[in-house]
Amino acid sequence: MQLIANITVLAAIYALLACGYVLIYRVSRVMNMAHGELAMLGAYLLYTTASLFADHPVSAIAAALVLSLTVGVLVYVALMRKMTGQMVLAAILTTIAIGILLRGVIVLIWSASQQHPLQVLKFSNPSIELIGGARISTCAALMVLATVAVYAALFAFLRFGRWGMRLRAAGQNPLLAAQRGINLNAIYALAWALSTLTGSIAGMLIALDSGLDQTMVVIGLKAFAPALVGGLDSLLGALLGAVIVAAAEVLAIHYIDPLLSDVVPFLVIIATLIVRPWGLFGTREELDRV
Amino acid sequence: MLARVLAAALAAAALVCSANAQDAYVIGVTGALTGPAAGTNGPPIEGLRLYVDRLNASGGINGKKIQLTVLDDQGEPSKAAANAKRLLTQENVSLLVLSSLSSTFAPVIAETRRANVALMLMGAVCPKEVYPPADLLQFCTTAYAGGYDSRATLAFIKETAKEPVRIGFAAMAIPLSRGEIDYAEEQAKAMGMTPVDKEVIPPPTADYTPFATKLKDANPNWIFSWAPWVTQVKTFEALRRLGWEGDYITWAHIEAESELARLKDGKFYVIGANSLFQDNLPIHKQIVEEAKKANIRYPAEQMTEGWIGGLVLEAVLKAGGWPADAAKVRAAMENVKVDTQGLRGGPIEWSKENHFRTRQYYRVYRWDPAKSAVAVTKDWVSYDVK
Repeated sequence: MQLIANITVLAAIYALLACGYVLIYRVSRVMNMAHGELAMLGAYLLYTTASLFADHPVSAIAAALVLSLTVGVLVYVALMRKMTGQMVLAAILTTIAIGILLRGVIVLIWSASQQHPLQVLKFSNPSIELIGGARISTCAALMVLATVAVYAALFAFLRFGRWGMRLRAAGQNPLLAAQRGINLNAIYALAWALSTLTGSIAGMLIALDSGLDQTMVVIGLKAFAPALVGGLDSLLGALLGAVIVAAAEVLAIHYIDPLLSDVVPFLVIIATLIVRPWGLFGTREELDRV
Repeated sequence: MLARVLAAALAAAALVCSANAQDAYVIGVTGALTGPAAGTNGPPIEGLRLYVDRLNASGGINGKKIQLTVLDDQGEPSKAAANAKRLLTQENVSLLVLSSLSSTFAPVIAETRRANVALMLMGAVCPKEVYPPADLLQFCTTAYAGGYDSRATLAFIKETAKEPVRIGFAAMAIPLSRGEIDYAEEQAKAMGMTPVDKEVIPPPTADYTPFATKLKDANPNWIFSWAPWVTQVKTFEALRRLGWEGDYITWAHIEAESELARLKDGKFYVIGANSLFQDNLPIHKQIVEEAKKANIRYPAEQMTEGWIGGLVLEAVLKAGGWPADAAKVRAAMENVKVDTQGLRGGPIEWSKENHFRTRQYYRVYRWDPAKSAVAVTKDWVSYDVK
């Protein structure tokens, strides 16, 4: 039972991070290599707002979420907008540069010391006993609930929301979408905002659960594997990819060798690429290389 | 015309830089200022900078200032190698200081060998090459050191345990952490303990619970972790969340003091070679004052490693005289004795044979629930370094 709980929590972490990759790739075909840094920035923003509003945790969390959304919009408006019409590779390289910049800025502002927003918010993180004697922390349970809520909201937004439909249209055929009067810049800014927000939620919950430090960047990067396995333009794929990668990782740790946990996501990627190069739920025709 | 003016300005700037560099001790530093290891390896560099700024403000050494050139390697071997190459070949440093993960050691050592410049590990784990008979170019001021740390830790466990010890181990998947835990496992067997599990955890880990689950399932009553702080403390917290109630002992990295106070767990021990600031020695007060004046980004209690590095650097450069070059600095490093003023249990002494220290001192701290404060559990114990 504990194994299932461990898989569920890890899958929730990966899924919440992976949907950010998918949202941006789906509308612009850009792989955001700064997603881990943006998630980490969101967590640091929570740390700051928690310090500012120590006695008002709800205000602190709300302010951090709004700031994360704003950061996403700013990244697009200030940097990624200039990449519109350029080669996709140039845009990807820009995201790598953004990541390097953010890492430096974060150390300059907050230092590299481990921080504990949970402590600042005066929250505690007791274990919850599940059926079968399994235990997870309260923050891990929140992570699972947040993942379910975020995916449900995103599915509903993309399926029924007016801006959600515009977002899908821009992703499928940007030229046609623009000719139909859809403001592509607003759509791309929205995608960046949502991606940064979901990444930040993941970052905040990881930071609340186990502290905030520079390793979050690498965790963000590891979540790229589930997105790739599921298909880079499919939210459902990201969810399933997260479960597959998390299960493979936890089972490898438990039954084979803990060191394999680092390798397993890449083995899953290779296996997926051999069988379905476009990912489990990705769009086949998007691949135009030999 | 403009081009000529620019060229003249550039030439003048180059001359000024060169004059400045020639008029100062040039020391190169490469370390993990950012990246996953930055929390442990960044503050020693800040501490060294704090000490050097203080020295420069009071006139420098032998009438000359110290110029620290600091480069970030993010704990990555390739970047550390590139930094070392640049510092050794372009900046012509007379000493290279390294504060990074052990995975960066091999390429940096290779560069220092090519340039024949001494390498001082400060805030980075001491490798076995600094023990007698020491490698010609490697020196270490860092508190933690392979082999001795495990011996001291296991001796403490044996002395403290009230029942037969079933011991679990946790390491990070980096060379020296793994090597030390493998060594500790063998030592534990030789000391009559029963090793029940060993988890080697990769550095980028989203959730430590799967590793902790395996450790807990092995049912240890003690766990020893010797790894960067992130791995040590996150494994412990995951174990507690799973309901494990045993004793956990780990290395007292620079983060230990504030973390003991945060965790408030009477069964979480830290063993280290540095005194904690709760001892409130005059040197601690001085560091706190200097840190406050300089408005540094890290807590003052994380400056110890860098401050000790500064003490050693001052002694070496003083002994080396002026003008300084790599050979004179190296020669001075082979005969140095530095009073650590209570920051350690004893002095740092280097000789031709021993580039570590002649005696290594250990102390154990934990959170004392009765006093509601961090307290010394076991006072200084020393080991001769042979």
